[in-house]
Parts: sequence; C-alpha cells; structure tokens
Amino acid sequence: MKKHLSKFGLWVCVLAFGGTLFAQDYPTLSEQENRLKSIANASGNATLKSLVKTEGGKDIWMLTLGTGDMDNKPAMAIFGGVEGTHLLGVEMALRFAEDLVNNRASVLDQTTFYVFPNMSPDAYDAYFNNLKWERSGNAKATDDDRDGRLNEDGYEDLDGNGMITLMRVADATGDWMMHPADERVMIPADKDKGEQGSFKVFSEGSDNDQDGLFNEDGEGGIRFNKNLTFEYDYFTPGAGEHPVSELETRALLDELYLKWNLYGIFTFGPGNNLSTPWKYNRAGASKRVVTSILEEDAMLNDLISKEYNKTVGLKDAPASENPGGDFHRWAYFHFGRLSLGTPGWWVPMVKGDSTMKPNADKNHEVNFLRWAAEEGLDNYFADWKEIKHPDFPSQKVEVGGIAPYAMMNPPIEMIDGVVEKHNQFITDLTTKQAKLELVNMRTESVGKGLTRVTVDVYNSGVLPTHTQMGARSRWLRPVKVVLNTENNQEIVSGRKMQMIRALNGDHHQSFSWLVKGKGSVSLEVGAPHVGFVSTTINLK
Amino acid sequence: MMKKYLITTVFMLGLFGLSTPAWAQDASQVFRAAGSPQDPKVQISFNRYYTAEGLEEIGTKIAKAHPELVKRVSIGKSFEGRDIWMLQITNYAEGNAERKPAFYVDGNIHSNEIQGAEICIYTAWYLTENFGDVDYITEMLNDRVFYIVPTINPDARNHYMQEPNTGSSPRSGLIPMDDDGDGLFDEDQPDDIDGNGSITQMRRKSSLGNFIVDPQDPRQMIAVGPDDELPEGTERYEYLGQEGYDNDGDGRVNEDNVGYYDPNRDWGWKWQPDYIQRGAYKYPFSLPENRAVADFVLAHPNIAGAQSFHNSGGMILRGPGAQEDLATYNREDVRIYDAIGQKGQKMLPGYRYLVVYKDLYSVFGGELDWFYGSRGIYTFTNEIFNRFAYYKNNEGGRDVTYDFDKELLFGDAFETWKPFNHPTYGEIEVGGFKKNFGRATPGFLLEEELHRNMAFTFYHAYHMPNLSFGEVKEKDLGGGMREITATIINDRLMPTHASQDLKYKIERPDYISIEGVDVVAGMIVENEDFGVTREQKVNPEKLEIANIPGMGSVTVRWIVSGRGDYSLTVDSAKGGLIQQ
Repeated sequence: MKKHLSKFGLWVCVLAFGGTLFAQDYPTLSEQENRLKSIANASGNATLKSLVKTEGGKDIWMLTLGTGDMDNKPAMAIFGGVEGTHLLGVEMALRFAEDLVNNRASVLDQTTFYVFPNMSPDAYDAYFNNLKWERSGNAKATDDDRDGRLNEDGYEDLDGNGMITLMRVADATGDWMMHPADERVMIPADKDKGEQGSFKVFSEGSDNDQDGLFNEDGEGGIRFNKNLTFEYDYFTPGAGEHPVSELETRALLDELYLKWNLYGIFTFGPGNNLSTPWKYNRAGASKRVVTSILEEDAMLNDLISKEYNKTVGLKDAPASENPGGDFHRWAYFHFGRLSLGTPGWWVPMVKGDSTMKPNADKNHEVNFLRWAAEEGLDNYFADWKEIKHPDFPSQKVEVGGIAPYAMMNPPIEMIDGVVEKHNQFITDLTTKQAKLELVNMRTESVGKGLTRVTVDVYNSGVLPTHTQMGARSRWLRPVKVVLNTENNQEIVSGRKMQMIRALNGDHHQSFSWLVKGKGSVSLEVGAPHVGFVSTTINLK
Repeated sequence: MMKKYLITTVFMLGLFGLSTPAWAQDASQVFRAAGSPQDPKVQISFNRYYTAEGLEEIGTKIAKAHPELVKRVSIGKSFEGRDIWMLQITNYAEGNAERKPAFYVDGNIHSNEIQGAEICIYTAWYLTENFGDVDYITEMLNDRVFYIVPTINPDARNHYMQEPNTGSSPRSGLIPMDDDGDGLFDEDQPDDIDGNGSITQMRRKSSLGNFIVDPQDPRQMIAVGPDDELPEGTERYEYLGQEGYDNDGDGRVNEDNVGYYDPNRDWGWKWQPDYIQRGAYKYPFSLPENRAVADFVLAHPNIAGAQSFHNSGGMILRGPGAQEDLATYNREDVRIYDAIGQKGQKMLPGYRYLVVYKDLYSVFGGELDWFYGSRGIYTFTNEIFNRFAYYKNNEGGRDVTYDFDKELLFGDAFETWKPFNHPTYGEIEVGGFKKNFGRATPGFLLEEELHRNMAFTFYHAYHMPNLSFGEVKEKDLGGGMREITATIINDRLMPTHASQDLKYKIERPDYISIEGVDVVAGMIVENEDFGVTREQKVNPEKLEIANIPGMGSVTVRWIVSGRGDYSLTVDSAKGGLIQQ
C-alpha cells in the first residue's frame, strides 16, 4: 500500500508539472471527448469521428489510429463501455489510445487500431448523477416488465445516502441469510446443506405499483451488451424489442462490417476469455446453431490466455459475465473475429489472517470488503440501517450494502499498473498476428518459352489468417493469390486467381504455374485483414 | 370487327371527352359478373404484371378515386431510394382508423416472386370498388384497417422485370455483395447472349455429351443412359449452365450476380448469421426495406393478422421456419393457424397448408417468424402458383409445361434454341423457358389466382378479434352501493393476445374501464355461477385483462358507490377500442 501511494504521488507530480491534472475520478463524457480530441489533434496518425448520437444525444466516438494504407493493414478494434457500469473499461480504452500514439506509435506500421472507448454513454453518464445506481441501459424509454406502464416502479433512496443499495427484511419465509465470514454480506441459503434463510432481500425502494415486485420497472433503457444477435435474450429487460434495435448498435455494426481489415476485437468489459479461455464443447460446436468455440480456436484462445496471464499477472478472476446478446461473444460467434475480453481489473483475493473468519467459498463480496478495508478506501459500503418501510409495516427492514460501481471500478489512481500491462499485452499480440510471406520462390525454364513458377505462401505469424469461425464467414475475405500477366504472356497451367480459405500460423501453401512468354509477371497475395505482399517474377 | 371497335371508341371519346379513358365502358353496357365490381372507378388489367412505377401509379389512382377509404403513405425508402408505398384502407368515416384491428399484407419480398404485388393491388382495388355494394366488404372496412404494401422490394422487382434474369433471379435485393470473396462486387453477372431479356440455358454439341434433342419435341432435351443405343449420326449435347460469360477472368461463369442475400433471412426472430443461415445479411433488419416494415409494425400494435406472398409451389405456410424454433408455436395458436390454413386449402384448389420447417426447409430469419414470434401476429406466407393450374390436376410429368406452352400459350413462353459463338465455349446454342414462365402465373390465369388468395386473406382478417359488449347487469347492494357486471364478447377465432404474446407479455393487457361513478372495488369474474372473482386492488376502475379469448368472453365486475350514469370502455391493442 505504501509503495502504491508513493508511486501514485509521483504520477500526480509528473502530471501536475506537465500542466494537466486529471480529476481523481473516472472521466465525464465531456472529459472523454476532450481527451479524444486532443489525441486526434496532437497526432497525425489519429482521426476521430462520431458514429451516431444515441437516444440520449450522446456521441459514440470512433478513433482511428493508423498510418499509410491503413484499410489494407490488419486491424484490431478496442472497446470500452460495453456495459455502462464498467467505467474502468472506458478509461482503459482511452489510456490505450493515449499510450499508443505517445509511446508505441511504431506498432501502427504493422497494425491499424480502431478505438471505441464508450459504447454506453447514456448509461455511463448516470454515474455522475447525485443519486448513484448502476444504470446499464441507454436513454430509450422502456417498459421493463411489459405491463403497459412506463417506469412506474423505480428505485427510491430510502436511507437518503445518495445511493441505491439493498434492503433486507427479517422474514422467516425468506431465502437469504448472512454470510458466515461477514454478516454484512447476504447470500442465498443452501437448503441442500440444511441452511435456512431468515431474510428477504430486495433492491432499495418501494413497490410503487403494488404488484408485489420491487423496482422492476424504473428508468431502464436498452443495454448495449444485451442488444447483439448471439444468444439474444428476447423479452428480457434491457434487451430491446429485437436484436440490434438501437442506434448505437446499428451504427457500430454498419461501421464494423465495412472494415474488411479487422481481424481482432479486444473488449474491456465483463466478458472474460483471457484469464480463463473459452471451453470447447464438441456437441455445442457441431450443432447448426454453434454454441461452443470451435476446436482450433479453443487451442488459439488457450495460447493467448497463457500469454495474458503471464503478462498481466492477475489471479482469481470473477466468473466471466456474458448476458445473452453480449458484444464479446458476438464478435466471435457471429462476426468471426478473434474476440478477446477482460474486465482489466478485479479485486485481488485477500489472503487473510488468523483473526479473520475464513472466507471458505471465496465469496467475492466478502473478499471485496476485506480488500477495501485493507486499502483504506472510503464509501465502499453503506452500513445496514433500520428504516420504516410502508410495504412492510410490521417487519424489521434495513437498508445497506456495497456501494454501486465499487466492485468493478477501483479508485482510478490504482489502475496505472494494469493499464500498462494491458497495453503491453495488446501490442505484444499484434506482433503475433498473421503475416504473409512469399518464400521458396523458384523459376525454371521448361523450354520453348515456358517458365514454371513455384512459390510457398507462408504465414510467418503465430495467429492464423482466419479463426476457424472466421473461415466460415463471408465477412472475412479469403487470401487471394493472383498472378498478373501481360498481353504477350499466357498462363498454360495453374489459375490466374486462387483463394486460400485460411492459413494457420507457421503454415504454408504451395503454388505453381506454367507461364508462356517473356518478360516478367507479378504475383499479389493477401487479404485486407492479413495485409498484402507482392513480387515481380522474371520469366526465364 | 376491328373497324367497328374503332368507331365505338371514337364515339365514346367524343361523348365523354378526355375525362374517361378510351377503353372504359358505359355501365349500362356491362352485366355484373358475380363477385366482381360492375363499374369500377379504377380500371386495371389483371392479366399482366406491373413494375414498381406501374404499381405506384395504380396505387395513386386507387387512392385518388377513393379518398374516403384510402390513405397512401411511404413507410420508408429502398436501397436505391424508391419509396415503399403502403395503402391504408378502411372506412375512415367510421371509428378511429388507428385503433381498428389491422391486417398487414405485403408481396414480392423475393424480387422474382412477383404475384404478391398484384394480389395486393387487386385486394386494394376490390375492397375500394365493392365498399357499399357488398356487405361483407363494407363491414370489413368499417371494423378493420388493411395495411397493404404491394412490393417491399421495388428495386429488385424492377431488376427482375427489366434486366436479364431467370424465373428465379435475382431473389436478392440490390445491395452489391462480393459473393466470391475476390474483393469485387457483382462483377460476374449472367449475360443475355441472345438479347431476349431472359437468362436461359446454354448447350453445346459434344460427342461426350449425355443429352440428345427429343425427336418428338425439339424444345426438349432427353438424357442418354449408358445402355441407350442412338441411331447413327444422332447429335449429342452437353449443358453449359445459364447464359453468361466469365466477365472477370477467374475461370468461373456468373459466380457474382447482383446481391446476393436473401431478404427473407433478415428478420429479427432467432436470426442467424450467414455461415449458419445462408442469405442472412449483416444483422436483423440490416436491409432498409425490411427495417421500414419492422418499424411500421412496431409502431402499429393494432396489427393482429398478416400475410406475405411469395411464389411458387401452391402452399399456405405457417411457421416455425426453423426446427430449432419448434417450441415457439404452441398448441393454442396452432389450433387457430390450422383453422384458417385448412379453410385456405379449400379456397385455393391445388394449394396445401404446410409448416415451413418440416415441409419446405428449416430456415432462420424469415418474415413470418418475426411477425408471430416477436409480435404475436398470426401470419401466413403463400407460395403462389403451381403446376396444378396448368390443367387443373396434378397429373403428368415434365411434358406438362411444354404441352401448356404449346397448347395454351402458343409457344410464347419458350425461347427456341439458337446458335451463338461464345468466347470461351465456342459454338453453342441458347434457349429455354423465359423468365416469366414457371413461377409467375400466366396472364389468363392470373385474376383467378389473385382473387382466391385475396379471399383467403379476407377470411384471416375476418377472424381477427372483434369485441362487443354483451350483457351489463346491475345489482343494488344497499347503502348506496351497486354491483355492475359486464361481459365483453369476442366472436371471432383470434384472441386479443396470441398465446405467444401471453407467454412473453409482448403486448400490454387489455383495459376494461368504468367512468362516471366512484369505484370501490373492481374484479375479474372467473366463474360467475360460483361467484369466483379475482380482485384488482390498484386502480380498480381500469381493470387489466391479460386476454380476451377467441370465440369467448370476459366478465368483469365493479362495486361502485353513488347513483348516476357510467360509461364502459374496452381498450385492446389488437382488439380495438369500444365504448358503451
């Protein structure tokens, strides 16, 4: 902790002397915009555009970082804010862009980056409201419980502390109990183990419409991370009336589908296949509607995950959160790209000592409270406080719980280390991307003005040219092999144009032609998401 | 004969001036055929097809001739910027048009499947020209509104008609795509070698070919088997596929046609990407024409029934489109589909009532699945026309089409084989059935086909929910209190909420409200005889009813205080708005 503080102090000093001082909190939307604009203004390699304005009138920004013929260079897209509550993802995507142009610009020789730092600006903005609750949906008015009434039962700040937490109601019929290691944490009783619940737990508020449900239809909106097509969860709150119903979802997909050079998508969000890779399941992979990562892609994910854990060094990640219709899985299952995701940070597991009750089930909330205490954080927990609740006139009702946003978003001054490691990991990854080379080129005279040309098209990268899934998609082009001849030349054997559906890392495919004529021919090989190589061949 | 006709025409022109089309007849000269308007304000020939512009003009005429019955609106733009025109037809003088149960009809989602547009036009024409004359139609337009979109694919409809195509192309819309992955878009389309507007077949004489010309019918080719002995000098042929050149020099012919995607794999119910469902575009409603329809439907919860028209095969189809979606179609709703579909089989001789996934193919992203699965709207797709129509039976083999062409179309449907010199294949012959034959109904059969399909949609539309008040009873409870019990009747097959709708609460509940008195309590009567009721504690004056069943009723009760008159309102998204 001490070391951490001193490092932090140094950072503040550097920035202060540099003339900028970041507020010690996650950036507002206008601060995000200013930072994006200053990247675009300061760097000749950066262009910024707004894809669309959301229902709430907020911009969806896209920052393009690249040099030269950037549309024909392999590209990676970086996403933040796929969940509006994950403020950290927005900051990490921004910091990646800032770090790249300032310190790692040479990466752009090989790779183009598209950075979409905040896909949920309407929801993100709610963090700055006086009353804090974890908003995930955009500004569209939604009837979350589909009863024909709009927003008739939202939250109320019953204890007046400026945030929405939980209510626990003492009730013998309840299914909740206190965690044995920390009574502030409520857990469902496990009846199979003979445990008995003695509380009911609700989010903080009243049953305004007297339908027996609490806060089931407040200001909801549609959640970007539930609005995509893969395993879309119909008719559930936040999903929308159909997949890709929202302005921001449509604008993004319209943009991505034009980016033929995109091979990878990196998402800072709750979906995590970096700490632990996605598991291959033969049955799920062989159905018509594929639900498992394909076998070769699972091996690739495994390899990348090992690298990630080595570089980033975070352990005990919480389970990956993939609601139906999420972006992280869409990018692989429906868009065919290499899709990598991580929250970027999570609460480290506190070892504890003999004075503490054992956190036997590694409960993440218990662990969070211990960690926050160790770090000396403020305002991370609202202590349970008894209130009078009109819906429970004769029962003891307490309000309290972990502060909104606290578990996913550490104090911003803590994130320098993880930011640096993730930026390093992403740039390392680009050095492993597929790279085409033309090797073992031979020209032989076969007599009578005929030349035999042979060449191996070699992928010298670690990554394949196409994920196994991507090779099935019409939205990734095959590698095209074209032998261009002049008028006085003729291809006698072999084809002028051929396609390679996919080439794994360190693999090659051999080609051979018989060409009649004199002079030289040119060979062009590539695809936008792999890059192009060409060479001139002198005929014998 | 000809001369006499000319004289009559000139005479009529003189009589009526320019206000009457030269070919109109005086009503007194016409004898009404049963079931068809005697003296329609708008004259339309129903033995031919119309381009997108032709449909626009007819739609405009119908709307102008019947302003009290028709509103013509554009619901959006196609990829090439054409308006997607909808005719909204009801008796605007009665009730609130926006609140009447609505029936949606469209045609031509597949560009080459053209009859749907003419069915739509015929339907709009028939409704407007018979309103006031035929009670069934008058009542239909008093109680219901029709949303009719003749073509939801105007760009590619024109492409089918005006550019060289087969009877099955382009099917796609016109957004260019790189079908062969070479980075070029639509660069190797079929080529109309013989210049007749149709893409037919190429054949070539070849000693290794497996076909010969049928000696009894030179239009036909006969396959030669390994044991067949051919007379000396018999010419063998090989097929070379559809008319075309290798335009991009990649060694393949016609491999990157206009499009290609399938607009009927683009809808937002259980949508799957192209690698799973060939033909899907980028995401649900990524095609502007479908998005226009979806946005309209989402904004019009009064739509209770829908119909889309395709060709061909003579089918009345319901979902599910995909086997994986079987669970969506449950028993209560299938019962209603069956009742309407089986009636359709009777009304459309030669058509069969079928289920897409098991009788046709198992596909995701179809229009009818979105209408039903996502919106709870009972929807059919008809595949117009099949061979039954040729001789009104299902007999005969492949000769039937050739016979029909010869005997009833006098050879108009077939392009005789003619020699050409092909840059790759050398001396070839080009010929075959033209694009307007095989799937599109021949002209003289068209009006019947339009009428029968329209009648089927009327039957479907008739059975959308139809609400009315039954008995309203009052009982004095003493102490200034009254008990008011009202029954609301739905006398048609469809409930106000399909069971799919109820399962997911797609549409809001129906509201039955009382005004003008103080309501003490309100309840839904579950069993009147035994006095079983379910109280609604909050807002009892506006009772929320999950559903008003088809061929059924709902009974509600209020305890009110005070004297005085009261009014009752039933407010149902799909069942309409009634007051008493």
